Amino acid sequence: MITAAPPVQSPVQTRRSRLAVFASVRLTVTLLVLIAATVLIGAWCPQESQVGQQKVIDMFGEEMAFNLSRWGITDIFHSPWLLTLIALLTVNMLACSFQRVFPKVRSLKQPMPWLTGREIGKLPFNKQLVLPVRCEQGLSKLSEHLSKSGYRVCLQDERLVAEFGKFGRLAPTITHIGLLTLLMGVTISSWTGFSGFQPIPLGGSLNFNMSEHSKLWIGKLPEWRVRVEATRRDDYPTGEPKQWFSDLSVITGQGKLAKREQISVNNPLTYDGVDIYQSSWGLDQIVVRFNQHRRHLGLSPMGKLYAAFLELEPGTVLIFSVRDQLQPLRLFAKMDSWPSPRLLTEIPLGRSIRLGAVDLTYEAVVPVTGLQYKSDPGLPVTLVAFAFIISGVLLAAVPHRQVWAHVEAANGLARIAGSAPATAGYGQPGSAIEDTQKACILSIGGRSVKARTLFERSLQKLLAGIHKDLCHSAGETA
Amino acid sequence: MSELQIALTNTAGISSVMSFWVFVGSNACQRWREIMLRIACVVMVIGFAALTVAIIARGIDAGRFPLANLYESLLWFAWAVMGSFLILERSYGVHQLGWLASLTAATMFLYGSWLPASQHEIQPLVPALVSYWRQIHVPPLICSYAMFFLSGLSGLAQLWQAGRLRSLICAVGAMVLATTAVALGTFTSVESFWLQGLFVGGSLIGLTASWLNLEQVSEARVNQARAELYDEVAYRAISIGFPLLTIGIITGGLWANHAWGTYWSWDPKESMALVTWLSYAAYIHLRIHRECSAEKLSVVTIAGMLLTLLTYLGFNSLGFGGLHSYGKFK
Repeated sequence: MITAAPPVQSPVQTRRSRLAVFASVRLTVTLLVLIAATVLIGAWCPQESQVGQQKVIDMFGEEMAFNLSRWGITDIFHSPWLLTLIALLTVNMLACSFQRVFPKVRSLKQPMPWLTGREIGKLPFNKQLVLPVRCEQGLSKLSEHLSKSGYRVCLQDERLVAEFGKFGRLAPTITHIGLLTLLMGVTISSWTGFSGFQPIPLGGSLNFNMSEHSKLWIGKLPEWRVRVEATRRDDYPTGEPKQWFSDLSVITGQGKLAKREQISVNNPLTYDGVDIYQSSWGLDQIVVRFNQHRRHLGLSPMGKLYAAFLELEPGTVLIFSVRDQLQPLRLFAKMDSWPSPRLLTEIPLGRSIRLGAVDLTYEAVVPVTGLQYKSDPGLPVTLVAFAFIISGVLLAAVPHRQVWAHVEAANGLARIAGSAPATAGYGQPGSAIEDTQKACILSIGGRSVKARTLFERSLQKLLAGIHKDLCHSAGETA
Repeated sequence: MSELQIALTNTAGISSVMSFWVFVGSNACQRWREIMLRIACVVMVIGFAALTVAIIARGIDAGRFPLANLYESLLWFAWAVMGSFLILERSYGVHQLGWLASLTAATMFLYGSWLPASQHEIQPLVPALVSYWRQIHVPPLICSYAMFFLSGLSGLAQLWQAGRLRSLICAVGAMVLATTAVALGTFTSVESFWLQGLFVGGSLIGLTASWLNLEQVSEARVNQARAELYDEVAYRAISIGFPLLTIGIITGGLWANHAWGTYWSWDPKESMALVTWLSYAAYIHLRIHRECSAEKLSVVTIAGMLLTLLTYLGFNSLGFGGLHSYGKFK
């Protein structure tokens, strides 16, 4: 029995067919769906790296939290599963880009083919109509109307091609370039950048020794530090915080002042490629003096206020309450037998009061400013990527439309369409004929992938407009 | 809120309810259909104009861009749904979308009106929102959500016109369960765990059933031309909504980088916006490469709409935390 030998593939073909597996759109969609599902789970389940392990235990109970942690769900954004999916999507995107998307750019240079009347008749939208003018006039009128509608028109003998939104075809290419550039920018940032957060009390300094960075890191931490010279909170009249400010000095390794600037939320300081952000604000401690003994009492946030607690003896507590750096310190006492604390007195900043045998002085309140910092050397690349992605998706909204037309003399076929019925809008071939030398048959067709109905309607409207114009001029000539 | 704002917002709300009933009535009364459709559109135009002025008036009263809490975002969402529908209606003549769009806008007005009074009042901004990025980041997102809703509603209309009644019923069931979960999460103290289960479970079961029932066709009800039209409208809405969502996510990243020093923190709301983006990216790939029938794509648009609902309202009402808690009021 003779069997046909299997077709022999060249090494290039074999490589391409292997690549085709990675360039498959089904693989793209599958990966997108799997990544979406993984991110959805991560959005639902609190992540340990963001909220801490205790929050996860509080929410799910110890056993469930343990299982979630074991399955990697409580740190899903750093899980091998998600990283593998992202790596596969990257390979898929690269393969798609080089096999299908980027080569499309070449097709932009290729002119539209010239179609005959019969070929035009096979297009998704096609019409044939009789115009009461010579061929060249009919074509020129069509060209004029298409140009007015934003089409780029080319004419050759009795044929016309027109295109709208050609650059919309670049959308996938530009978007893919943007996504690949974004991956590059993120990789540069990950390998060379660092970040961190430190609450710094007034007069304290921020250094970068405790910075966080990736395991594969080849960057360098700065030697300079940032000193908090002043920090304050501005409030609305209702008492809600309006803005937080910190006055920062950059001090070099040699102890010299390199820069001084005030930062606030949404207004960071930038020095030597490192951005320092105002992230949070609070009151850290109060300094009080009991006779000659100075005490630093740590403050805890209590709604809009801050409070420090000092136990005098079992069951008796002094409560120091302060609202901000300007308001006086309010002193309360609380005993177990009292239903609520009792206000003893108020002490303005820098003043003393006498409490029995004790002179109590309110010396200072120390604010603390939460400073977030980061170095992101990949930022310029990331910004370029963002620009590409936005341009790409915006171009994708532009519908790409192509129109072909062909005219031929309507010898003995047409009647002057000035008498065509108003409802038809323009003369149809095959209608009652009055012989004329001045008539042509226009075959027109086109396609639009994204907005077919709108395209067809716009073309119908355009044809009706052409017909109206021609009938009007034919009537005037008559 | 000033008297003018209340009057204008009420006018917009009443207009959306009225246009809904006139759109619905036009289906019952074939003789007056065209006139009723025109009346419904005119009523919606009046509502849209009133809402535009109401939003501007709120901005003037507040002395800031009027998009800072859940109530204000609902006004913007209703505005975007009404405006986008009017544009689509003018371009495509998609009347059946009218009653769905006006029902969506009316539901948002009702939802907004039931929120606590503190949401209606003009409140000072928290420090994190005092930035020009707020007006760059938030409006594209709200408008993209509106476009995705319209695309999902077009998907429902497409299933109807394609005679996929069982699929349609299952999809509507999923939407009702998801909306109920959001409403319960907003106005009651039902445990988040159950609400999340109701939303996710209802959506998954409803959409799977809808997908599996796509083969069941009521031939007598098929209107292929209209089905193709609604399919195209859904795609058109996504092709406008997707760039807006992309711009919203990227400007959000830029704002976060400007304010907190990081583009992305895997905050639940950010993550959900990414999920929505990925789902519509999948839709666009399926669509461009013609991997699915129009009916399957319609189910995908409805899934996208539910994800949009989860991103927009679900995460604040169903008990998820995160940095984007400005929409919270409990």
